[in-house]
Amino acid sequence: MRQGEKLTTNLDWPLLITYFLFLIMGMATVYSTSLDPDHPNLFDYSQKYGKQVVWLGVSLFLGLMVFLIDSTIYRKFAVPIYISTLVLLVIVLFMPPINGARAWLQIGGFGIQPAEFAKTGTALLLARYISSLNIKQQNLNSVLVANAIMFVPMILILLQPDAGTFVVFTSFLFVMYREGLTYDPLVLKLVNMIPGVKFKQTWVGTHFIPIMFAIVFLCIVTLLLSNNIITFNFLPGVEIPGFFGVILSLVVFCLIAFLFLRFISTKRERRRISTVIIIAFVLSASIASSVNYLFQGLKKHQKDRIELFLGLREDPNGEDYNRNRAMAAVGSGGLAGKGYTNASVATIESNHVPESETDFIFCPFAEEWGFIGTFILIGMYMFMFLRIIMIAERQRSRFNRVYAYSVVMILFYHLAVNIGMNIGFAPVIGIPLPFFSYGGSSMMSFSMLMFILLKLDSQRSHVLQ
Amino acid sequence: MNFDARKYVIIVFIITVGIIYIVRLFFMQVIDDSWTLRAQEIAEKRKQIVPPRGAIFDRNGVKVVSNRTYYNLMFIEDEVKNLDTAAFAQVLGWSKDSIAIRFKEIIKEQGTYRDKNDNYKTKSNYQSDRPYAFIKEMTLEEIATIAPHLDKFPGFYEEITSMRSYTYPNGANIFGYLSEVNEEEINEDHFYRRSDNIGRAGIERFYEKELRGQKGIRYIVTSARNNELKPYMDGIYDTIAKQGPNFKLGIDILLQEYGEKLMNGKRGCIVAIEPSTGEILALVSSPTYDPNLMVGNRNIAKNYPKLILDKDMPLFPRPLAAEYPPGSIFKLLQSLIGLQEGVITPNSGFPCNKSMVGCHNHPSAGNLSDAIKFSCNPYYYAVTRRILQQGKKTSVFADAEIGLNKWYQYMMSFGLGQKFDADATGLRPGLIPNSAYYDKWYGHLRWAFSTIRSISIGQGEVKLTPLQMANIACIIANKGWYYTPHFVKSIGQKGSLLQFRIKHRSMIDSKHFDPIIEGMRRVVYVNGGTGGKAKINNEEKIIVCGKTGTVQNPQGEDHAVFTCFAPMDKPKIAIAVFIENAGFGGTWAAPTASLMIEKYLTRKVKDKEKEKRILEASFKK
Ligand SMILES: [Zn+2]
Repeated sequence: MRQGEKLTTNLDWPLLITYFLFLIMGMATVYSTSLDPDHPNLFDYSQKYGKQVVWLGVSLFLGLMVFLIDSTIYRKFAVPIYISTLVLLVIVLFMPPINGARAWLQIGGFGIQPAEFAKTGTALLLARYISSLNIKQQNLNSVLVANAIMFVPMILILLQPDAGTFVVFTSFLFVMYREGLTYDPLVLKLVNMIPGVKFKQTWVGTHFIPIMFAIVFLCIVTLLLSNNIITFNFLPGVEIPGFFGVILSLVVFCLIAFLFLRFISTKRERRRISTVIIIAFVLSASIASSVNYLFQGLKKHQKDRIELFLGLREDPNGEDYNRNRAMAAVGSGGLAGKGYTNASVATIESNHVPESETDFIFCPFAEEWGFIGTFILIGMYMFMFLRIIMIAERQRSRFNRVYAYSVVMILFYHLAVNIGMNIGFAPVIGIPLPFFSYGGSSMMSFSMLMFILLKLDSQRSHVLQ
Repeated sequence: MNFDARKYVIIVFIITVGIIYIVRLFFMQVIDDSWTLRAQEIAEKRKQIVPPRGAIFDRNGVKVVSNRTYYNLMFIEDEVKNLDTAAFAQVLGWSKDSIAIRFKEIIKEQGTYRDKNDNYKTKSNYQSDRPYAFIKEMTLEEIATIAPHLDKFPGFYEEITSMRSYTYPNGANIFGYLSEVNEEEINEDHFYRRSDNIGRAGIERFYEKELRGQKGIRYIVTSARNNELKPYMDGIYDTIAKQGPNFKLGIDILLQEYGEKLMNGKRGCIVAIEPSTGEILALVSSPTYDPNLMVGNRNIAKNYPKLILDKDMPLFPRPLAAEYPPGSIFKLLQSLIGLQEGVITPNSGFPCNKSMVGCHNHPSAGNLSDAIKFSCNPYYYAVTRRILQQGKKTSVFADAEIGLNKWYQYMMSFGLGQKFDADATGLRPGLIPNSAYYDKWYGHLRWAFSTIRSISIGQGEVKLTPLQMANIACIIANKGWYYTPHFVKSIGQKGSLLQFRIKHRSMIDSKHFDPIIEGMRRVVYVNGGTGGKAKINNEEKIIVCGKTGTVQNPQGEDHAVFTCFAPMDKPKIAIAVFIENAGFGGTWAAPTASLMIEKYLTRKVKDKEKEKRILEASFKK
């Protein structure tokens, strides 16, 4: 810290205030959903809200510590921090399982989830590695190292197993994409193994990450729709078979993309754009067809499992039962909600929605505050994400920028999956809603992520890296 | 290469997801109601609160039908844990086996359905997470021995229910009774749920919709284990149960009680009406039963079979539904029609010529009033012949047709031959024949007065209910009009029903009533009158005007009938007494009517000897 500089100099207040608003809203929701009328004191340590208050205190204390330390430490100590989180991830695998997963490390009376902290460790090391790369001279080695940083903790987490956090780790792919990390060396290596082929660069390798995501997305949509018949309320009598609907959407999507790109492109580029769009369409259509064909060819029990996972089938006692109840809680909120502490479906006491204070905390919030509440909540998250991207883009240090993108993508993933499973858009994989869900590990790890970002940002002018 | 443009890919991606989620939430929360219904299904329980029925008071403000708290011993199978059958049986005072039998019985009572989703298998409606009554309708004394032990038997609890209670053991056929609704009634009216009660007869049935009040609904948040947690949204959607309004009847319960006492040992009826209002003061149907015998399903199960099988038919509301030939009281109406039609005058005399019909020995009546006093049969043959055969057509048959239909119109205007629009159930219309009726019997233009002459003296085809007989006395007392006889004076703050406030006018001008009333006075007070026993205490303080009747009964002893009103100058009560198989009307029916009048007007009966004679009489075989 430079002489005479205050702790709050260059602090990004909008982000910090949003963070505090989330803490207050989250605390209020935890209190409401787990309220025991016999112990209404917020600070009653025998209750979940009492414990959450303690976690909040600890998180803010850690945040203050982060602020007192010079930000260069994170760059310097990225490797030891990363390795220690890996060690914790290994140790936790030898712990007795809780609810079928070896995710908890008991320290004293507290349980800690190393996976939550692994996100911070991975973000720091990835930032350090990418910032040290010369992006213009990437080789096979750089692709492999960057992916190893991401995949090693992912595999350890999958062993627990913790599918939710595993999925969240794929958010780092977006960060790599933003930084221009390319899979081209890997793709070239494979493609050039074919005799007679000698590419210098492939388009697929450069845009490997978004292409992968597009393919996964396309597959899921195809599976969701292929067995359905699409009808429209405003067009009675019109019935479109699901698969035809997928192809039709692709055609429409491509046409819109073509017109849009034509509008913004120069004359010279138009030919190329047409070719790319036609190739993209043919590829997508064939991928969708093969997925559809493969799915129809599956045995019944395999089909069932996929349909269950996608939420196409009711599983009366399993996860779909939980999702159905969660959706009932959310949907019954109406426009203005049932009022604070008036949730009837999503409370711990009624227990219709399990885990309504942790993974399903969006339920009591949506039930109590209605659409007005959920609109504001998602709006606030959107604001926070765009603010972090803005912060990321104003960094002169690539380390800082990579780290900031890691933060925003981790938070976004949590939001998308967590709320997605409350509204029937995502399978039920338990991951917490940032700053909301009850639980010490997630609260501390999200706070650490946030405070490190704020600290790095506040000292953005100090270092040129 | 510059990758800065790639930030837009990420920004667009994040914003797209945000917008999709917000749109989805808008549909789920604001547009689509099905999630709200699903949430109600999951987490709410509607609890119906059944209010006590409206209380019923008599005309003097005596509460005659009230509600009493009873207790159901309820259970929810899922909450019953390790039931110690022996101990439980001991607490109930049952044998050990009967506990299991009762459980089976409850399941059986719920009936079965065919499950569409499971190959149409027959399944029981019984659900182990729902409450059912293990023992219904226990009194406070009965529950008091059980309640202190209930905490030892989890899953069992007491529930309060309200049932009728009758202050007097009288008026059973007026009030009716309640019993559990059947499947059809539940489907027809969504007010009812299984094991609710519904009015089955009498006022309880006629005024069911008013008496039952308004049910309250409480919405309760329940847990996944079906525990009740708290009122839903602090109870803002709850509705409060509202008891039915208080009913005030025209019935005088003490008069009713006295009438039932007088009719003890006899089959028949007494109907007393206040002429100026049409309010029924007493409606005795004998034999009757104590309405408390039909309170609650336990009592009904025990007593209903006995009552329904009793050959004297205590459940049959005779005053409303029994149709008897009126006998000589019908002569009052023939006199009125004759005067109105102008075929006789108050001074018309006809000889007591016994060639066509028998008569008792009396001097020939020289005027109408005396004819009523003597109840001379040949006189009324002559009068009725003049009414029916007015010579308007040369053919005697065609003439009789015109005459009879005219006569029919008059009879209808007295409220005969049709059901009163009264607040009672099971009313019968009686029978007044018209030309169509006789055409069916004899053929068109194949009958004349001589064919149908027995209607002259209220025999033959003519039939009236005792209520109609009493109403005749009302019309005469009012000199030409009546209000539809009815029980209920007021419901809550509202008066009686509109239909009871409409004056019905007969086709007779009021001036023609004076000779009739004079004749009815002579029946009671002039030597040779047939109803001398209707005098009150053998004095003339309260003048009773009446008419005796003796209804020929081919099956046995004649029926006695007497209809009257009193006092003569300012009629306060009109009565019809009908006693089956009691013979001559003046002997038994007239004194019974006089006792009722005395009781009503003076509140006590002085003539203990007369009273004793009636009380001790019995005409039942
Ligand atoms: Zn005679």
